[in-house]
Amino acid sequence: MADLALLNALRAGAHGSVDADAGPRPSDLTLRLGRSGDLPAAAAVLLGPRAMALATVVATDETATPDGDLKVRYVFEPTAPGAPDRFVTLLVSVDAARPEVPSLTTAVPAANWHEREMRDLFGIVPVGHPDPRPLVVHDGWPQGVYPLRKAFDGSRRVPVEPAVEFPHLVAKGEGVFEIPVGPIHAGIIEPGHFRFTSVGETVLHLDARLFYTHRGLEKRMEGRSPLDAFYVAERICGVCSAAHGLGYCEALEQIAGVDAPPRARLIRSIALELERLYNHVGDVGNICAGASFHYGTATGLRLKERLQQMNERLAGNRFLRGLVVPGGVRLDLPDDLLGVLAATLEDTRAGLDSLMGRIEDNPSVVDRFDDTGVLRRQAALDLAVAGVAARASGVDRDARRDHPHGAFSGPTPPDLHVVTAPDGDAMARVTVRAAEARESIRLIGEFVRRLGPGPLRVALAEPLPGGRIGISAIESARGEAVHWLRTDAGGRVERYHLRSPSYHNWPAVALAAETAIVPDFPLVNKSFELCYSCTDR
Amino acid sequence: MNIASGIVFQVLQSVLVVLIAPLMLGWVNQCRAWLQNKSGAGIWQPYKVLNKLFHKDAVLAHNASHLFRSTPYILFGCMWLAVGIVPVLATSLPFAPAADVIALVGLFALARVFVSLAAMDIGTSFGTLGARREMMIGFLAEPAMLMTLFTASLISHSTSLATIVETLGHRELVIYPSMAFAAVAFLMVLLAENARIPIDNPSTHLELTMIHEAMILEYSARHLALVEWASSLKLTAYITIGIAIFVPWGIAQAGDWTGMLIAIAVLVVKLTLAGAGLALLETVSAKMRIFRAPEFLGTAFMLATLGMLTHFLLER
Repeated sequence: MADLALLNALRAGAHGSVDADAGPRPSDLTLRLGRSGDLPAAAAVLLGPRAMALATVVATDETATPDGDLKVRYVFEPTAPGAPDRFVTLLVSVDAARPEVPSLTTAVPAANWHEREMRDLFGIVPVGHPDPRPLVVHDGWPQGVYPLRKAFDGSRRVPVEPAVEFPHLVAKGEGVFEIPVGPIHAGIIEPGHFRFTSVGETVLHLDARLFYTHRGLEKRMEGRSPLDAFYVAERICGVCSAAHGLGYCEALEQIAGVDAPPRARLIRSIALELERLYNHVGDVGNICAGASFHYGTATGLRLKERLQQMNERLAGNRFLRGLVVPGGVRLDLPDDLLGVLAATLEDTRAGLDSLMGRIEDNPSVVDRFDDTGVLRRQAALDLAVAGVAARASGVDRDARRDHPHGAFSGPTPPDLHVVTAPDGDAMARVTVRAAEARESIRLIGEFVRRLGPGPLRVALAEPLPGGRIGISAIESARGEAVHWLRTDAGGRVERYHLRSPSYHNWPAVALAAETAIVPDFPLVNKSFELCYSCTDR
Repeated sequence: MNIASGIVFQVLQSVLVVLIAPLMLGWVNQCRAWLQNKSGAGIWQPYKVLNKLFHKDAVLAHNASHLFRSTPYILFGCMWLAVGIVPVLATSLPFAPAADVIALVGLFALARVFVSLAAMDIGTSFGTLGARREMMIGFLAEPAMLMTLFTASLISHSTSLATIVETLGHRELVIYPSMAFAAVAFLMVLLAENARIPIDNPSTHLELTMIHEAMILEYSARHLALVEWASSLKLTAYITIGIAIFVPWGIAQAGDWTGMLIAIAVLVVKLTLAGAGLALLETVSAKMRIFRAPEFLGTAFMLATLGMLTHFLLER
């Protein structure tokens, strides 16, 4: 059995005990490491021979429970296309008096931000981490105050301490310039500070500082009824509302032990694809803005607007909020709207084909997109990059296929064509987006054909079962988002963690920017088109 | 020629061009909006913006020197002087002998130097970034511009714009192959010098991509209004230089009042067409990578040189 071979491999490299359990889902595996020092060896076994990737890292404060410790769960997922849907969790216990774990970052670059976040919010020190700077908490946050510890009262203000200037990583030397950009930008975008070090127009290094929109949403959800906390999860990000709402609901439904009815699952997937569609179409237009191709920008905006007006007719709002709810969906898709939907999708397809034709036939645009902001395949794998950015670098991963959800989790899931491109440049990300948008239009048609009569939602009885974990991975417009939810003994939210696709992709933007020149950065950035809110939470 | 009527013509032309320059910009922007399937802000929008800016309080950086404060006036003055020299409506204006095409290019260079210095005066990274990019564009665009004008002056045996226009405008229709080369080169220089696509994007908010806009980011209120007005004057000056050299028919002699009325009507038609053409060029093209700009301007220089060679080979 594969599990036994894995367990033996792990035990061979471990100095302490390794216990295996099924969970959180029946097909998943949780490996409890007796010594946290065995972590790097165990991670190496999962990453190397088993070709897994880091999906998320969740720390929990269990000092008030009989265990009296902090715990860290490193969740891994298979990367091979067609591999079974399974998460493998490495669970280590951390002594509350001396909260230290060995850092995985040098071996697993994708763990970098996870470990820094853990240090900022839990005070768990990743020993050997190469970057000592805070990530989530900003200048003036008091030392030794860890907001996600249970002892921290989120309703109280913390005193602001005098702060030194943040130590950006900058190069020095003759002719080396520093260009600070943001956190407040011209145009309507979210806040982030970018510190470029450049020689002439060549970017030597880009230090991106985010988390300006950290609202402590995970803390806010703790102690609430999971049904109420849903509204917070759905509002973590505007343009990912449907995906995040769905991810939270699937995790919640695992805990409750219910399945959404088939009709609801189809409508959920329609919402997810509509969200992907308006994002992708809008992003193609936005990328044109990065190259100052005004026709493309205006066309992208126009097509996106049409789709968002369609969203409003479906859900009552332009961001598809409140359509997906725990247990199913709130609103049905009535037959009279199906005609409007089909017409909108047909117009979108025609508009998108025309726009892509104008982009691909225009040498001045192609010249800007080609070879701009290259993300190599190995870098994408190392950083566990998700979504369009990964697929445009030749990484064949899509959570709709790898972790079936919505209508894909039924007994006869529809075919899904996962689009990849090998080049890893801005052009690849544009063409992958366009191809995925067309695939979304096809899928929505397929879902609509499959719609049969049936209930829209199942009732969830409160309180929910206590002490259970739900985990789900949703392919949002920007890639795989991993939701991790656990209830306390009373069935309330004990800990919720969202690892958004943008969280893994931001470091890739900095890497890709270093292959470009300063005036091409907006184009590189827009070709990834990441969320700040999803990342900052 | 009557001195008094010459002065009247000079004043009339200078005032008229200053007043219609924002309209020219408004027309280009309106055409661009139409070509992008947008309804647009209307051709009067630049006047509304200027009005708004003149009514605001100016904000200056603490370390701004007199250079920063005086640059908008110098810039505006240079551009106004430039449109005074160009025979927009009439030739033989009293100002015309004061400067020839070389001085005209020098006038634009003077404005460029002051704007670049002012951009660096504040010490922000964007200002310096824009200034160094502007210098790269400028030192490549100016020689190409001069070569273009020399091609025209070879035909008329004078570097005076008025003489060039009189020579070219009052002959029977003769097609000069050299002028075809020069016209293409001039168009390329016009795009680069006026911060238009494909070299720069006048309507972007992306600071890192800016050239001209990066230099004027710190200006506000009346200073910004003058800078913006000067930009529209520069665009109008370039377009009218192009009109004067390449399609000079209809420009009046100073003192000829009937000719003047015809000249105004003809000018409106030419500017309308030129603005629409510029908007079309800017819509079908993306902005080029900044390191392609030297190739673009190098091509302009080469075309202008070819124009001169063609003149020696075919037209002597």
